[in-house]
Order: sequence, then structure tokens, then C-alpha cells
Amino acid sequence: MTHGYRAVSWMPFKKRYDFWVVGGILTYIVSFVIATIATQPDGESLTELQILIRATGTLAFLMLSFVLVIGPLARITPRFRPLLFNRRHLGVATFVIALVHAALVILWYHGFGTLNPFVSLFASNPNYDALAGFPFESLGVLALTIMFLMAATSHDFWNANLGPGLWKALHMGVYLAFALVVAHIALGALQFEKHVAYTVLLIVAVLAVVGLQFAGVLASRRPVDAAADGWLSVGEGAEIDDGTAVIVRPAEGEAIAVFRHGEEIYAVSNVCRHQAGPLGEGRIVDGCITCPWHGFQYRMADGTSPPPYTEKIATYATRIVEGRVEVSAMPNAPGTPQAPSRLRSAP
Amino acid sequence: MSKKDFFIGWAEMPDADRRFFLKAGAGLLIGAAGVAGFVAASQRPVGRGTWDLATFKAFTGIVTASPYPMLRTRDIDGQVRTALLVCQTKCGVDLRLQNMAGKAVVINGSLIQRVDHASIAVADGPEWIREADAPVDPALAFPTPEPLGEITLAGEILDSKCWFGAMRPGEGKVHKACASLCIRSGIPPAFFARDARDNAALLVMTENGGRFGESLLAHVADPVEVTGAVSRAGNVLLLDVSADSVRRV
Ligand code: FES
Repeated sequence: MTHGYRAVSWMPFKKRYDFWVVGGILTYIVSFVIATIATQPDGESLTELQILIRATGTLAFLMLSFVLVIGPLARITPRFRPLLFNRRHLGVATFVIALVHAALVILWYHGFGTLNPFVSLFASNPNYDALAGFPFESLGVLALTIMFLMAATSHDFWNANLGPGLWKALHMGVYLAFALVVAHIALGALQFEKHVAYTVLLIVAVLAVVGLQFAGVLASRRPVDAAADGWLSVGEGAEIDDGTAVIVRPAEGEAIAVFRHGEEIYAVSNVCRHQAGPLGEGRIVDGCITCPWHGFQYRMADGTSPPPYTEKIATYATRIVEGRVEVSAMPNAPGTPQAPSRLRSAP
Repeated sequence: MSKKDFFIGWAEMPDADRRFFLKAGAGLLIGAAGVAGFVAASQRPVGRGTWDLATFKAFTGIVTASPYPMLRTRDIDGQVRTALLVCQTKCGVDLRLQNMAGKAVVINGSLIQRVDHASIAVADGPEWIREADAPVDPALAFPTPEPLGEITLAGEILDSKCWFGAMRPGEGKVHKACASLCIRSGIPPAFFARDARDNAALLVMTENGGRFGESLLAHVADPVEVTGAVSRAGNVLLLDVSADSVRRV
């Protein structure tokens, strides 16, 4: 079976996004270099390469932390969705900065000796059995490897061919990378730079990533909705805003997004075929259910993307019982046409 | 929220998002500059080391091979000073010294200096050393080390070249792998000792009066305590220890 994939293609918004990302990166590095030179005591200076090693190292960590908080922030407030839209570019940029950091370290600290620099990277500090003396470089190498895999498979081509489930699982590895980077810093730079600001910054970043992750999960978690005879209660039809959805969670299977379009009620899977975005937080735009994350669209009537696209999601039967909306807990096969139920009979 | 307020990446951006995006962008730049400045300003001072890589000079004096290649010369600041000799990269010059030890020579290299510690990174190629044309001041001959006694010191083992100024900073955990690579490659190891009143001293390390081998590598850049015999040779302090006396603290 061949998978067609659908690129979230280049568009003015992405260009603007990347413009800001590059601007932020340059601003950070230039400010870091200037501030380092300006704040060292008279007659003392770091070598240029070591300033860049530190600038890229700290920047990569800050960017990685930022990438990890965008998701939860977007769940808590829709204002952050524009950042989510192009998060992968930020992820790839983070990998590139981390790679520059690693390349400079290998050149400067491990080059020019009698050992191969890559051997030196793992062998020059043999204290794998001690905590404070631990060769923290190896943790950085592991994290960089994971980030490389993420960056290399970040394109939608991989997403389509691995399937969103496996792809998402793979990209959860970024949390492992984050943990490794935190250890890399704690056992490395923090053993030398003792200013309390560094410890505080590291702790704040860890708390922000972990805490927001937690808050994001809480914000999007609702109790499982009980089913009676295979039908789940959605609530008063009149309470669903036109063009939006209510998310219902059956005890088993994917969450369901129940949309209102005028007087019609449609139900589809809440899980976007692209990167598992929450469709129920999306809107009906031009007659199509539109994902809040990257704007993939599905026809309400059959859960299929309009041509030329071919993505399909499950549809669900709905019914109205005394003004209350109910949805079947049993999905139809993805792409199955399903007639809507009507809140009020047509006049 | 109406359809107009709903952000879709491929569509015209809603005004509210556009405003937010612009503010976020501006905030990002200001934040990046602020955090960078703060992080950079919190770095500790790296010390007064310098290495003028681009300036090669001729240093006239008497050279020795033991315990490490060193030159006694007046060409650093007019005083009789001892400079450790190293290569341009991470290596020692032991093998390149051949039969020159003990002779009056002219050495071509660039100066690495940290307060009164000096090292000369000698030029690549055979032209780095030649015998002096005229006899030199006999005061430049190497004095016999004068023993100062047995002592236990706390501090850090580092490589002299980096700490003198080749790398800034050239000590501590982050520099650990580099320091052990340097020592492994033939750069003289040194002990940076600090007492309770923050008086610091740098001692060049030897084992049984000779050069240290790889036995030291496991302890480089860790906080350690060593016990050994200190002696003074001109303006260089020497610390003779055996690798087993090095203890991590
Ligand atoms: S998750 Fe990307 S468009 Fe839905």
C-alpha cells in the first residue's frame, strides 16, 4: 500500500515564523558574545570558541525547553496555536544549534591531540563510575542522537509512512532527550560554573516543562462519558456553539468530536490523521472540519479530506432524544458516509 | 469564537492572532537578548591567561629536557624566567629536542602567559630551535632544584598549556577531557593548589623526578588531595608525587 502524504507546504506564515526564529537565534548569540566580553574583569577573556560553545549550548537547551512547552500552552490557551503550527521548524533549528555546539566542542576540546577526537570524546574521561566526575559528554551525544532522529523524521513524509501513532511514539523520545540534556548540564557546566543563576535557570526550565505538561493533560482530560445501550450523552444540542464541537470520551477507543453545523449534528473521531491533533478543538471552515494544529480538513458527511487529499477518519452515528444529543460509541469505518441528525426538523 | 478568529496556518491570519504573533515576536527578541545577557554575565572570571597565537618571537636561553622541556630566558620580561616548551597543538616537544638539552639555544615560538607562568608554543617544523651564535649569560643555566619539604595539598590537576592561557577557561569539569587529552599527549601536568585563605600556587608535577605518564589521567580536573615533595627550580615550583598518593575528595 502506498501512502500519499500531504505536505503542510510553505506559505507566508511559515516564512514569517522562520524569520522570527532565525532573528531570535542571532539575537541570542550576538548578545551572549557581547555580554561575555563586556562582563569579564579587565585583562581576562574567554577564547572566542569557548564563548560560542557556551552560547550555542545554553541556547539549544532554552530552545528545547521552549519547544516542549508550546504543546501544553496551546492546549491551555488557543493563543499559542500559531506557535504550534510550525513547531517542527523550531525543533529542527534546535537540533542544528545543538549540533554546532557539539561540533565546536569536538574540535576545540578533543581535536589537535594524539587521540582521534571521537575516541577522545568517550575515552578522555574514564570516570563512568563516579557521579560528579561522570563523563557528561556522553549524555550530550545520546541526546543529540535522539534529536537527530527526530529532526530527520520530522517531515510529513515519515509521519504518513510510519503512521501517526508510531510517529508520535517516536517523537515522544524528545522527553528522553530533554532529561539527558538536563543531566548533561548538571554533571557538566554546573560543576564548573557555580553561580546560583544557572542552577535556578535549570530548575525553572525543568519545572516549566514538567509542570505545563501536567497542566496540559489536566486541561484536556475529561471524565469518561458513560454509555447507555451503546449511546453516549453529549448534552443539550442548543449548547453547542455553531461551527464548533464538544468532545466526548467513550470508555474504549478514540475520543469523539461532535460538531454542530447550523441545525445539523455530525460526529467524527477526535484524532487528526496528521499528527493526532484534537479535531474537536477545531472549527468548521468552508463546510469542512478543520484541525486546530495544522489545518488539515475533513468533510463532515464522510470524514474524508476533500480531493485531492485522501485522509480518512472514523464517523459516528448521532441521534436527538428530546433535544439532547447522543452519539454512538461504535465508530463507523474511516471515511464511511453518515447522515447528520437535525436539532429541529426542517421547516 | 467565530470562524474569523480561528487560526489556520494556511489561511489569512485572524487579526487577534496577528497582533499576538507580532507581540510574541518582539517579546522573543527582547527576551533572547535579556536571557543571553544574564546568562553570559553570570559566568565566572576565567583568569589572566593569554596566548598571542599570531606573534612568533625568538627566545634565547638555555634549554633542558628534564623533568620536562623548559627554557630559561630573559626574553619574556627582562627577568630570568623559565618557560615550559610545548607544541602548537596538544603535544610535548620531548622527541623534537634531540641532543639540544643543556645547550644555549634560540627558540622560535609564541608566548603563552598567565601572570608569572609562561610557556612557549614552539613553531612547527625543524626551524623551531637552533644553537645560539654567541655564548649566553651563565645565570640562565638550570639551577639544581632546592627541596622545600613534604606537603599535602588540595586542588586540581590540570594541563599547564591550557591553564597558562591556551584555553580560557582551561580548568574544571567542562575542560576535563581536554586536560587529560593534553597530558596524555605530552603537555606537562600541573597542580593548582589553593589553601583555606584562597592563596593559590601552581606546581609542575613529576613522578620520581621524571615526567608523569598516563597514571594521572583518571584524576585530572577532579577535586583531589596529593602528598609529595615540593622543590623550587628558579621561578618554577615542582611537586614530586606518586600517582597512588592522589586521592579524590
Ligand atoms: S494534527 Fe496536524 S493538521 Fe491535525
